Amino acid sequence: MFSVSSGVQVQAVNVMTSNEGGLDTEQITQLAMDKIMTVADSAPPAIKDQAEAFRSSIENALKHYIELARREERATIAHRMAKAGQKEMADLVRRI
Amino acid sequence: MAITQAMCTSFKTQLLTGTHNFTNGTGNTFKLALYAIGGGGKSSTTATLGASTTAFTTTGEVASSGSYTTGGGTLTNVTPTFGGTTAFTDFSDISFTTATITARGALIYNSSATNAAVAALDFSADKTSTAGTFTIQFPTANATGAIIRIA
Repeated sequence: MFSVSSGVQVQAVNVMTSNEGGLDTEQITQLAMDKIMTVADSAPPAIKDQAEAFRSSIENALKHYIELARREERATIAHRMAKAGQKEMADLVRRI
Repeated sequence: MAITQAMCTSFKTQLLTGTHNFTNGTGNTFKLALYAIGGGGKSSTTATLGASTTAFTTTGEVASSGSYTTGGGTLTNVTPTFGGTTAFTDFSDISFTTATITARGALIYNSSATNAAVAALDFSADKTSTAGTFTIQFPTANATGAIIRIA
């Protein structure tokens, strides 16, 4: 008798939520980092330390540029609103 | 009454009968619906999801809010591939915005195939957004971590 066995598996998902608005920069950074790099608990200590330092460096750069992108997008939206005569709305967006 | 993380048994059978096609663009339409326990679903219903779930159900599903509408959101398929001897598929992350939702889990189902259940997802704890964003991030698509794998 012959048989071939195989396993069908499902993995856990990550859920991120926010209140009174969208996700903040920190949360978006974490979502991105979870896709970019994970450090195995079983890694040798020296390699683990290096990997975590590298991860931290990427995380800081990512956070900075996500924040910059959000700020620049708001600036563009505020500019378009002001140009369309919605000065109050533009100020509201600029102050976020 | 509970939500248990599982690949639905009916889905495993349907893999052998060619029911599901996860190809991006030309494949089936897969959806993700959110569920609550403890009477937190619409009309105070409670979800029971797990390996024995065979199809999408409205029992225990959360109510429409913000960009979430009952029946769930449409997922973007990632065409199946393999790593080593493991085949896997993935979906793009999905977000529901301006939503007030408390969910304990989710069901992925195939709306192109009579809403056949694929997998029940357990969030381990209630996840809540209040007039905010509810994001589900799928794990990295590889042979050891992808959301759906055949090893």
